[in-house]
Amino acid sequence: MSTSHLLNIEGISRRRSGREAVTDVSFSLNRGEVLGLLGVNGAGKSTTLSMLSGALRPDRGRIELDGRDFVAHPALARQFIGWLPESAPLWPELSVEEHLVAFARLRGAVRQAAQRAAQSIIARLQLGDLRRRLAGVLSQGQRQRLGLACALVHDPALIILDEPANALDPVQVGELRKLIRERAAAGSAVILSTHVLAEVVAVCDRVAILHEGRLRHDSPLRGEDGGASLERIFFGIATGAAA
Amino acid sequence: MSVAAVTRLELKRLAVRPLAWALAALTIAWLAWTFVLGLGQFLGAQVKLAAVADAPGFTDLVAIPLLAELAKLAFLVVPLMTMTLIAGERRAGTLALLASTGLPPWRIVLGKYLAVLVWLALWLLATLAMPLVVGLGSTADWGKLASATLGTALLLATLAAIGIACSAATTFPAIAAAMALIVTLALWTIDRGAQAAGVSGGFLEWLTMATHLQNLLRGLVASSDLAWFALAIALSLSLAIRRLAFDKERQ
Repeated sequence: MSTSHLLNIEGISRRRSGREAVTDVSFSLNRGEVLGLLGVNGAGKSTTLSMLSGALRPDRGRIELDGRDFVAHPALARQFIGWLPESAPLWPELSVEEHLVAFARLRGAVRQAAQRAAQSIIARLQLGDLRRRLAGVLSQGQRQRLGLACALVHDPALIILDEPANALDPVQVGELRKLIRERAAAGSAVILSTHVLAEVVAVCDRVAILHEGRLRHDSPLRGEDGGASLERIFFGIATGAAA
Repeated sequence: MSVAAVTRLELKRLAVRPLAWALAALTIAWLAWTFVLGLGQFLGAQVKLAAVADAPGFTDLVAIPLLAELAKLAFLVVPLMTMTLIAGERRAGTLALLASTGLPPWRIVLGKYLAVLVWLALWLLATLAMPLVVGLGSTADWGKLASATLGTALLLATLAAIGIACSAATTFPAIAAAMALIVTLALWTIDRGAQAAGVSGGFLEWLTMATHLQNLLRGLVASSDLAWFALAIALSLSLAIRRLAFDKERQ
């Protein structure tokens, strides 16, 4: 296995609720690359991302992060990974700013560095007006933005976003795309899981398609036909034509 | 470092949680009322007590019963304080988020445990302030009061550890609270059957929490009692840590 990639995944599998949710998935990711992870509901996207974030352990297979075995050293997540889970879970009794400071400190930042990091991401995601608002009273879109800010507050090398555009308005979706490209240009690798093909076409360099827990497609994205070929491939896999 | 970050996070959440404030206010009001009643009875019995050789004093008749009353309340209060610590996080999805920060389960459990201990220590101190203020102006038995305080503190720490273990075992905070209550009541009364049969001593008596607390409340500090509390805390926290580690495998 090459260690030049930021992320190398080899043959990871995971059973959930008595069935094989992810089977023998392998791919790799370089710094600065944005990978779109596509699949219908139940395809295994969230399970794959949970394993990559360290929240779940694979039953089989190997995950290598920056050349090191991530399963054996889950503490690597602290420095390297920022994860926005689907539905952006938050603590309702904490404010936006408290969330960001807490996440920075959980990642090992001392108080002043954590406050600086929080201020910086608040400014970047335009959360200034919401700074003192409790997470419990935020709208779904605001929660999503806060979840994204929590994932980015420690400037991770690998950003894992599970349906990040959920509940965002079109302006915010545009901002999100800009932010993803900006982070990739700064050297972070991004995995973007979504149902929305247009999202992948707009922002990703590569696309991987999961179906019934298996990786059915992994190739660079060619956007010259406006995503029509991706749509054909995706529907072919999803409806079984390409199986 | 990250244990402290988890503790700080949990304390912040506790500080704005209505349940923590409501429980603190209601129980301290109840304990203050108990203290005033006990003190009134103690003052009223001064003449009778003066005629008795080696009569019990302020510590035996007011301070220690107050701590015993706090211990009784703790059986209900501690499970309510600990029920959401892990079960609530698991239910809300924030536990996976915590795990994704690379924190090992032992740090998450220990951080949360320390936060509850801070709250319980403040609760104990607020209660203890009442006999301390009166004791300073009278002739309190400080040694006995220190032993009783140590016993109550160890009881609170043990109940908190059991509460966290129960919270780690489920996704439903109410079930966690019920489990913790039943486990602690069982530990409190486990030798009742043996006592009814006229058997005293032995393993069941050693296993019973009441045995060890009673000794400390009587002013008797024995290493075997301290070891029992330490073992109960270590075992409970280990179970919570194992269950959290198992989440990564089982979910």
